[in-house]
Amino acid sequence: MGELLKVSRIHKYYGMDGNVTKAIQDISFSVHEGEFVGIMGASGSGKTTLLNCISTIDTVTSGHIYLNGTDITEIKEKELARFRRENLGFIFQDFNLLDTLTISENIALALTINNVSPDQIDRRVQAMAERLGIADILEKYPYQVSGGQKQRCACARAIINQPRLILADEPTGALDSHSSQILLSMIRSINEELSATVLMVTHDAFSASYAKRILFLRDGTIFAEILKGDDSREPFFERIIKILTMMGSGVSDVR
Amino acid sequence: MYARLALRNIRRSLRDYIIYFVTTTLVAALMYSFLALGFSPNVISMSENMSMLTSGILILSVLIAFVTSFVIGYAIRFMLEQRKKELATYELMGMEVKTVCRLFLAESTAIGGCAFLLGSLIGTGLSSLLNQLVRNIFGFPHSYQVVFFSQAWAITLLSFALMYGVGMLRAVKVIRRRKVVDLLYDSHRNEGYSFRSIRWHILCVLISIAAMAVGAALLAELVHIQSNRAWLYLGGACLLILAGVYELHRQVPFLLYQFAKRDPYRKYRGENLFLLGQIGRRIQSTGRTMAIVAILLTVSLATLFVGLTMGAGYRANMEAYYPYDVGVAIDAPLSTDSMEPVISFVQDRCAVEDSVVFYLYSVPDVPVEALSLSDYNHLRQILGLPLVSMDDDEFLIHCDTWRSMKEIQKALEREPEITLTSQTLHAAQTPIMTEPMEQYQMAGTKGFVLVVPDKVAKQLLASKIRLAIKLENDGYPKLKGELQGFLKSDEWRPEVQTGYELPERVTFGVTVKAWGIANSLTGFTTISFCGLYLSIIFIILSCTVLAFEQLSAIDKNQKNYRVIDRLGVSSQRRVALIRKELSTVFFIPLLLPILLTVMLVFGAQIFFREAILQEGLVLLCGLITIVVFCVIYFTYFGATLFLFKRGILRQGTE
Repeated sequence: MGELLKVSRIHKYYGMDGNVTKAIQDISFSVHEGEFVGIMGASGSGKTTLLNCISTIDTVTSGHIYLNGTDITEIKEKELARFRRENLGFIFQDFNLLDTLTISENIALALTINNVSPDQIDRRVQAMAERLGIADILEKYPYQVSGGQKQRCACARAIINQPRLILADEPTGALDSHSSQILLSMIRSINEELSATVLMVTHDAFSASYAKRILFLRDGTIFAEILKGDDSREPFFERIIKILTMMGSGVSDVR
Repeated sequence: MYARLALRNIRRSLRDYIIYFVTTTLVAALMYSFLALGFSPNVISMSENMSMLTSGILILSVLIAFVTSFVIGYAIRFMLEQRKKELATYELMGMEVKTVCRLFLAESTAIGGCAFLLGSLIGTGLSSLLNQLVRNIFGFPHSYQVVFFSQAWAITLLSFALMYGVGMLRAVKVIRRRKVVDLLYDSHRNEGYSFRSIRWHILCVLISIAAMAVGAALLAELVHIQSNRAWLYLGGACLLILAGVYELHRQVPFLLYQFAKRDPYRKYRGENLFLLGQIGRRIQSTGRTMAIVAILLTVSLATLFVGLTMGAGYRANMEAYYPYDVGVAIDAPLSTDSMEPVISFVQDRCAVEDSVVFYLYSVPDVPVEALSLSDYNHLRQILGLPLVSMDDDEFLIHCDTWRSMKEIQKALEREPEITLTSQTLHAAQTPIMTEPMEQYQMAGTKGFVLVVPDKVAKQLLASKIRLAIKLENDGYPKLKGELQGFLKSDEWRPEVQTGYELPERVTFGVTVKAWGIANSLTGFTTISFCGLYLSIIFIILSCTVLAFEQLSAIDKNQKNYRVIDRLGVSSQRRVALIRKELSTVFFIPLLLPILLTVMLVFGAQIFFREAILQEGLVLLCGLITIVVFCVIYFTYFGATLFLFKRGILRQGTE
C-alpha cells in the first residue's frame, strides 16, 4: 500500500506578539492507503487542530501536508471546496446531519454536491443504507432516530463518495457504549472491506483500540506512536492505557 | 452600573436591534408627520370638509398603534430569543429576575426613546413636505417651512408609549416564565419536521377556495336581505372569507414545496436538495407568520391602490362633475321669471358673464327627460363646446355617463325613430353626444337627456326648471351655502307657471364649481393620504416581521451552512445559496398579494376605464402602488440579506 497522507514538519500557532499559543509544534507522520490511524491526546493537546489542518478547514503556520502527492497547504481557496468534495469524508461527534432533510436525503446530499447523476442517487443511497443497517429509517428525519442511527447516517454520507481519506472527530463522543461499539465495528469493517483510509481523533482508549496504529499527542507534539500489529484488541487496549498513564505522569518521551 | 451594562449590551447587539430601530423610527416618523398634517391649521382651513382628513388619520393611527404593538411584542420576543444565554448567565450569577427585567426594559426604553426622538425629527421634516404637497394640490402658494405641532407630537408620544408598554409587558412575562435551564439549553432541543402529502394540501386549497366562494355568495345574498339576518350573513361571510384567505396563503407554499421536491432531477440537481430542505423548514416553522404577513401585504397593496385610484379618479372627474360655475336645479314647474332674483343674487356677489334658464320636459310614457335644442346649444355655448344643428324631424341623445351608453346604443339600433306628440323623429347624424354636462342634475336626471327640436319640446310638459350661470371669474366656495340660504329664505318668492301645479315635495339642488373643486380636492387628499399612511406602515410592519423571521433563523442556518462547507461547497456557492434561500423565503408571502393586486388593477381598469375620465389613470395608480411597495420591500430585503449573510458566514466556517 502506498503513502496516502504525509504530514511534514507542521506548526500551528494562534495569537500574536507576546501572546502566542503553540497548538502544533513540528509534527511529521505518514498514513498509508487502507490504514486506520487513531490520534489520541488530552484536551488542548492539538489533536483537533491537527485534524482541522489535514481537512483544510484550518491552515498551518508552517510545514506541508501532502495527500496523494498534492500539497494541500498550497491549494488555493477557490479549489479547497472541490478538494474536500473529491477527497475527504467527515464524521463528527455531533453527527452534523441536517435536520431539514430525511436520513436518505442527508446521505444523498453528498452525492448531489458531487454532481452525481440523479438516476444513480436513490440506488446508491439504498445500497449504502443496507450495508450500514439503516435502510428501514431512510424516510425518517434525524430527530426521529437514535444517536447511533444518526452516526451511521453520518458514516454513510462520509463514505458514499468513496473519498481517499475519512476523517472522524470523536465519532463516539455523543453515543452510549452499545452504539459506540456498533459504530466502531462499522468503521473498522469499512476500513477492512472497502480498504478505506481512516484517521480518527479520540480521547477514549476503547475507541482508539479499534485503530491499527495510534499517535499520542501532548502539548502539540507527538509523544508516542504504537502499532497494533498482530495483537488482539484487548492487549492493544492495555498498551494504550499504559501510554496514557505515562503521559499523565509527566514522562517526557517514550519513543 | 446597570445603565452602563445596558448601554454596552445595546452596542453589542446592534445587529439584532438595527431593523427594530429602523422600523420603530419609521413608524414614529410617519405617525407624527401624518398626524401633523391632519392637525395643521393651514391644511384644515383649505376647505370646509378638511376635518375629514383629521378624523381619518386619527382613526387610522389607533389601528396602526394596535397592529404595531403586536409587531413590537414580536420583535422583543425575537431579541429575547437571541440573548437567552446571556440572560441565563445573569441569573446564574445571582441577578434577580426582577433586575434582569429592569435591565432589558432599560435597554428597550433607550432604543425606543432614541427611535421616537429621531422619528419625531424626521417626521417634522416629512410633515412640512406633506403640508407643501397638499397646498400644491389645492393650488395654494407654498414654500418649505418647518413647523412643529405639539398636539400631533403628544398623540404620537401617547401611541408610542402604549405600543411600547404592550411590548414591554410581553417581555417581562417571557423573562419571568422562562427557567434558567430552558434559556441555557433551548437550542439543543430537536425540531420536528414532517410534511403531509400533496393530496392533503390540494384538499386544503380546494376547501379554502370553497370557503371563500361560499363567503362571496353570502355577501351577494346579503344585498337582498333587509332584516337582522343580514348581520348573520355578514359575519358568516367575513369569517369564511378570512379563514379561506388565511388557509390558502398557508397551503400554497407547502404545495409549491412539495411539487418542487417531487421531480428527482430537480431535487438532486446541484445544491437544490439542501436549498429545498432549508426552505421546507422555514415554511413549516414560520408558515403561520408568512400567511399573516401575506394577508397584511394584500390589505396594504389593495389599500394603497384603491386610495390612490379613488383619490386620483375623484380629481380627474371633478371638472365633469361641476361643469357650470353656478347651477340651480329645481324639480318644479316654476316660471322663468322666478329665476331672475336668483341671477341678481349671484350678480351681486360675482360678475355674471352669461346665464340660461331652461326646462327639462317630461316625455309621456317614457322615464326620460327632454331638452329643447336651443337650450341645449346655449348650455354648450356656456361650456365652450361647439354648437350642434339638426333637422326639425331629428333628435339626439346627450349622455356623458358610461353606465347607460351601451343600453342607449342598443335602443337606437332597435328603434332609430321615436314618436313624440304625434310627430316622428329620426336619430340625428351624430345620435349621441358625450361631453360632460352634469347629467344627473342639470341636463337630465337619469344620466342622459333627449334633445329635441324646440317646437316639439314646447308641446311637452315643462316639469323641472334649471338655471346655469357662467361667471366672469371662478367664484368662491362659500357661494354655494349663500345661494342655498337665499333659495330657502323668504326673500325669494318663486311662481308656478300658469296651468301647472306645485308638486307635494319640491327638491332643489345648487352646484358651485369653486365649492365642488375644493370638495373634490378634499376627497382626493383624504382618501389618498389615508391610503398611503395605512399601507406604507403596514408594508413596513410586514417587512419587519419577515426580516425578524429570517434573522432568528441565523443560528440554525450557521450549523447547516457549516455542514455543506465540510461537504465541499465553495464559499461563492454558499453565498449564492444564502441569497436564494432568503429571496425564496422573502418572496413566498408575496406570491398571492402580487397576483391579487395585479388582478385588482386590471379588474379596476376594465370596470372603471370609462368612469374615470383620465385615460390610463387606473394603470398609472397600479404602477405607483407597485413601485412604492417595491422600494420599501427591497430596502428591507437588502438590509436583511446583508445581516443574514454576515451572520451565517461569520461563524459558518468556524
